[in-house]
Order: sequence, then C-alpha cells, then structure tokens
Amino acid sequence: MAWLDPSLLLLTAAGTLAGIYVGAIPGLSVTMAVSILISFTFSWDVNDALALMVGVYCGGVYGGSRTAILLNIPGAPAAIATAFDGFPLAQRGEAGRAIGVSTVISVMGGFIGVAALALAAPAVAEFALKFAPRDYLLLAIMGLLLVGSLSGESMAKGVFAGAFGVILGLVGMDPLTAEGRFTFGTVALLGGVHFVIAMIGFFGVSEALVQLHQIGVKPIKQDVSRILPSWSVIAKYIPLSIRTSIIGVFIGALPGTGGDIAALLAYDHAKRTVKNPSRPFGTGAYEGLIAPESANNAAIGGAYVPMLTLGIPGDAVTAVFIGALFIHGLKPGPMLMIETPHLFWFTVGNLVLANIFLLIFGLTGIRIFAKMVELPKGILVPAIIVLSVVGTYAIKNSLMDVYWMLGFGIFGYFLKMYGYQVGPIILGVILGPLMDESYRQAIISCRNDFGIFMLDLVTNPLSLVLTVAVIFMMINQTRLWPFFLRIFRRRT
Amino acid sequence: MKRGLLLLVALLCGLFLVSAQAADYPDKDLQGVIMWGAGGATDNVTRAITPLVEPILGKQIVLINKPGGTGAISTQYVYSNPSDGYTLLFGAENPQVHRILELSDMDYKDFYPINILGRGVGVIVANNDTPWNSFKELVEDAQKRPGEIKMGSTGPGGLPYTVGAMTKSITNMDVTYVPFQGEGPGVTALLGGHVDFIPAGITAVREHIRAGRVKALAMVSAEPVPGLEDIPLITADFPEFEKYLPWGPFYGVWVKRDVPDDAKQVLVNAFKQGAADPKFQDFLKDFGTVSMNISGDEADAFLKKWQSVTCWMYEYAGATKVSPEKLGIPKP
Repeated sequence: MAWLDPSLLLLTAAGTLAGIYVGAIPGLSVTMAVSILISFTFSWDVNDALALMVGVYCGGVYGGSRTAILLNIPGAPAAIATAFDGFPLAQRGEAGRAIGVSTVISVMGGFIGVAALALAAPAVAEFALKFAPRDYLLLAIMGLLLVGSLSGESMAKGVFAGAFGVILGLVGMDPLTAEGRFTFGTVALLGGVHFVIAMIGFFGVSEALVQLHQIGVKPIKQDVSRILPSWSVIAKYIPLSIRTSIIGVFIGALPGTGGDIAALLAYDHAKRTVKNPSRPFGTGAYEGLIAPESANNAAIGGAYVPMLTLGIPGDAVTAVFIGALFIHGLKPGPMLMIETPHLFWFTVGNLVLANIFLLIFGLTGIRIFAKMVELPKGILVPAIIVLSVVGTYAIKNSLMDVYWMLGFGIFGYFLKMYGYQVGPIILGVILGPLMDESYRQAIISCRNDFGIFMLDLVTNPLSLVLTVAVIFMMINQTRLWPFFLRIFRRRT
Repeated sequence: MKRGLLLLVALLCGLFLVSAQAADYPDKDLQGVIMWGAGGATDNVTRAITPLVEPILGKQIVLINKPGGTGAISTQYVYSNPSDGYTLLFGAENPQVHRILELSDMDYKDFYPINILGRGVGVIVANNDTPWNSFKELVEDAQKRPGEIKMGSTGPGGLPYTVGAMTKSITNMDVTYVPFQGEGPGVTALLGGHVDFIPAGITAVREHIRAGRVKALAMVSAEPVPGLEDIPLITADFPEFEKYLPWGPFYGVWVKRDVPDDAKQVLVNAFKQGAADPKFQDFLKDFGTVSMNISGDEADAFLKKWQSVTCWMYEYAGATKVSPEKLGIPKP
C-alpha cells in the first residue's frame, strides 16, 4: 500500500487543497496546473509526482462548483451546469447548505467513479471504443436539446443563443482540413475561440455587470447555521446521484468527451426524470445541483479508464497525465496494466484518498466562502472582473482572448437585459465543434451517402439506442407528447 | 547635490549597458513558447528537455503553451518579440507547410535552429479484423475495390495525411480518408474498428502493437528502427518510397534569425549538452522518437529538405493553395 506512505498522504492532501483553489478561479484550469506540475516534479519519484497531480485533478473538478454556486461564475467548464440551480440557491441565502450538499454528493460521485475504475475498467474501456463518430454526433445532439430547458422566457431566444454559440465554436482553423473559418484572413483568429473564454465572458463579466444594478442594495444574508446536510436529506438524493454518476463514468470514459458534457447531460437527465423537485428547476432545485456535481466527479474515474487500460486519454487532463508517465520513463498503453499493475492500484488508492481529503477540505471553510457573497458589490464586482481578465489571459497567454472575453461580457450583459439566457450559448460553443466534426467523419465514412448514414443509425445496436433516445427526447418536449401519453394510458 | 545624483544615475545606466553588452548572456530568465497545447507531443518533449538545460544556462526557462493555427500563432508571437535571445520557440514541423497552405507567411526560414531534438517515424497499422498481412496486400486490395477501405487521416500537416499522400503518389491507391483532429483520436477510431488502417507515429501506436491490439503492416522508413526491427520496411515492397525518406514529424528549439551570434552559441551549446543527457535520450527512446541533436547549418539543411519533400508531395496530392514553385521551394 504505497499510497498510505505519510509523505504521499501529505502530497495528495496538498494537491487536493491547491486543486480546490485552482478550480475555483475561472481560467486557472486543472489541465494547466497539471502540466506545470510535470516540469516542477521532473526530478521527483513518479509516485510522488502522481500523488500530487491526482490531488490537483480531483480538487480542481470539485472547486469549480464553488464560484458557480456563489457568484454564477463556473470556475471550470465541468461546473457550468452547477450554476443553473446552484446560483439561485445562493440568491435565496442557502449557499452554505448548497455547498454542503454538493460536497457530499461530489465525493459520492467520486467514489462511484473510482469503483467503476477499479472493478470494471477493461469492460468500460472496450465499450467506450465502440462509439463511432455517428454516436458522438447523437450524444452532441442530445446535449444540445438541453437548449429547450435553458431557454428561460422564450424558446426562440434560447434557440438563437444556442445557434450563436454553435457558430462561435466554428471560428478558427477547421481541425479536419486546416482551412480558416470566419478568420477574415488574420492569424490571430486562426486559434479560434476557446470555450472557456466564452464561459468567462458570458458568465463572469456579464454577471458582474448585471450585479452592478444592485450596487446599493444590501446583499442577501446567507444562512450558515446548518452546513452539514443531515443524513435523511442525502439519502433522499442517493438514487438520483447514482444514476447521474453512472452517466458521468461513461461520458468521462469516452475519449472525445469529458466532465463538462457529462455534467450537462446529467442535468438534463435530472430535469427529465425527477417528477417533483424540491423547487422548479432553474430556481434553486437541489436535484439540479446534485446531478451535475455527482456526474463531473464520477467522470474523473471514468476518464482514467481508457488512460490506464489503453493509454488513450479520457479528457484533456488525462492527456497531460500520459505525458507525465512518458517523462517518468513509463509506457502508457495497453501493456501498462500488465507490466506495471502497481501503478494502476496506486492511482486507484490515490483517487480514494483525494476524495476523502475533498470531503474534509470541502466541508471546512464553507462559512468564509459563503460570506464572500455578502461582500458589498463595489468590492466584489471589480474583483470578479480582474480575476476574469487574468484567468482568460492565462489560458493561451493571448491578449486577443482578453478582448474576446470582454466583448462577450458586454454582449452577454445586453442579452441578459433583453431576456436571453447565456447558458445555451456555452452549450453551443462546447457541443457545436463536436457535432461538426463527428457529423463530417460519419458522413465521410459512408462516402457521402446520406442513405447509408441513416441506415447506420438504425442498424447498429448502440446507435439505435441513442437514436431512439434522441427521438424520444425531442417528442417529449413538443405538444405531441401529452397526446401520445393519453393514447398509451387508454390502452393500459 | 542634484548634479551628483544625476551623475550617479548616468554612471549606473552606463554600467548596465556595458554589462548588457558583455557576453554574460543569459542574465535573466528566458521564456519558452510551446507551439502546441498541454499534453501534446511537442509539449512532452519540451517539458522533458528544459529541466536538463536550465542548470547549464544557470537560468530558468519559463514555459507557456500558445497553441492555435497549428503553430502559426506562436510563430508569429515569438517573431514579434525582441531579437535578444530571451524568447525561445519550442516547435514541431508544422510551420514548414504554412506557406503553401496560406496559413502564415512565416516558416523556419525566419528562425535559427538552436537544436532539432528528434524526429518521429511513421508506421502503417491496421485493425486486427482486416484481412491484410502486409502493406502490399492492403494496396492490392485497395486497387481492387476503390474507395471502400477507410483510412484514418488528419488535416494537411499531420503525419497520417502526409504518409497517405506519399502512398497515393506512389501506389495510386484509392481509399476514403476519414479525418480526425490528430493521430490520437484516429488511433482510437482504429481500435474501435471505425477505420480500417491508419499511418501513425510510432509514439501513438507502439504500445498497441506490442499488446497485439493492432497489426503493424509497414514501417515508413528506409532503415530499421531500433527496438522495432521485426516490422517490415515500406521500401522492401515499394522502393520508390526511398526518395521521400527519412520523413517524419520533428521537435526542436528555435530563436529569431537576427539574435546576436554569441547568444545563439550559448543556447546551441546548452541544448547540445542537455539533449545528450542519458535521461533525455531514454525519454526519446520510450517516446518512439529518433534522436537528432543537430543545430545551425546542419539543421537548416534538414529543414530545407523536409520542406521541399513535403510541399511537393502536397502539390502532387492537390492539397496546396500556393504552388511551392511560386514560393521558390525547390523540387526534391
């Protein structure tokens, strides 16, 4: 049990604590933190280096939800869905309780992810390989259907925002043909718009501008008397969080998708399946907080599955981990588990530890965090804007990105003033490129024959399940649905 | 009193100037700009070499990733920095095709190669369920049923795309190119059976070959690669490939051409010594990369040849926007 060594214990703890803060600051990404750690731990023993990085990874994914709940600014893409119901909770003065619940549920999701990794890694990895480009397309469509639930007052405004996001995601060099799209011939635009930049602009800066309206208003008093949720509260949410954790594990294990998409799909799942939420979704439903929080932490275990069994990264962070293994003289690939099985179990043990530390660090210091929202807006808003600029610059070290981000912030402010939601924009920026790429791969694979493409959707078992799910989700949102339901009821 | 102070300031400035001119480069930390994102091959190579070079230089190299436009953005960024030798470009082969694709006016003609650390070698791998046991069988099958075989590819500039173009120009085989964002996602699709074969860098597939999850059909090299001698060379069945080889992605360090010579020399020496370190050599071997450790004129000759081979191959494949002839790139 190498991972119980006191110095490794300390490193995992330090990593987790640092990760929570890296995750909480928008723009300071876990991917970046881990890749800096590669250079930093170059001369270390591989176990020490991995212990620290695993801690940062787990802490970072969790930390993103802090600012999402408190300020409506997701610290990391995986926490975008957390803001949908987390922030309304903070506005009701329940920030302390929201963070308490999300911490316990996150750790539970984390454990489910680790369990899946430890018990079923090879099977999950083989399943993930089965996903063809057309299946990724169907997943992306499924995610995009969430626009329907995030539109706010008007469906048309939601669709407009979603479509705007999709187009924004296309800017830059087309990865499949190296052709510039919407770049107007400038090199600066070839890099495209990183979705985190859009996230910081539309959530961070525009939210800060909106809050300026309340500059004289006394902030809502946060109730921090009961932070630790009672067991009965947690028990009530266990079935939902198990379901969304399973979604998290699988979406995390898919090489083309990570915690952000897992959390969005989990939120969607909760919205469809929970009949009587504690409050309507979008106004502070605990179910809407629990679903993405359990899914994004479960996705960590999921992302490790293809990495440790096949040497294929499950998300951006595990891609950096693979580099770290190379640099430390290991050979990430299908032989890793056979030749160095201790590394697999070391990682599993590390993840368990990191989740335990997450519970400890997550539940302490909530009071101070929750009080942060009570700061006068005159202090809070400028601080948010400074952090947004620093965080944006740090992503690609590009001033261009800062201009983009500020532009999005101002644009987002006016959108919000006119009743448009910014959620669908981010959804489009994240899912648009995935849709674009996977559709083209799928149709090229059928040699541009649309008939064969449609046939593939229904003849392949996996695709068929996904196609049926997409169709069901679409009909479900239209007026036809009650009609179908009535016919069905009459028969039975 | 006031005049005394002024004099002192002037004296200090003078001292500073003298010290800056003296050959004690580097007297502050350097910045290293990585052309690709965290976790990519260029990023890995860079993060493996810098900790070995820093003690030799006696200064830190602060690394930042500046990805985008397959390296066009970082190339432009480093070029817009002062030519004082404090900004290093850690890059890969990509800028050498930027001009023919009209992505940028810049390539390595504008930069001085401090060190080309290593180059990758391609290998053609196929899904285990395919019937072929050699590259020749694959080519013959492709000629029998044109367009039906799916090859994993990338955008222009990637290894799968380039080796695909090379193969097409020699064997005239007609396969369907399914493009992916990089060879990593392409290999994943191969493992899942969504494409039939893919030319990929050894780094990306070596462990899958070793585990028997894919079939290695041919090594895109004229000479055997240490450790992988049992994979047949592509030149055995198709000797025409020899004119293009050796070909592969490469990784290195550049500064602007007009950096002072003494600074260049300090960097060349430091990187030469760092790259020779057994720790880095072991890393390259595990990474499936052939060590090069060349600089200056030798590196420039390599870069020129690489550019001429690749650009003309793209021209024959119809993938160029500007003819290499117009840009003055000689035929190989």
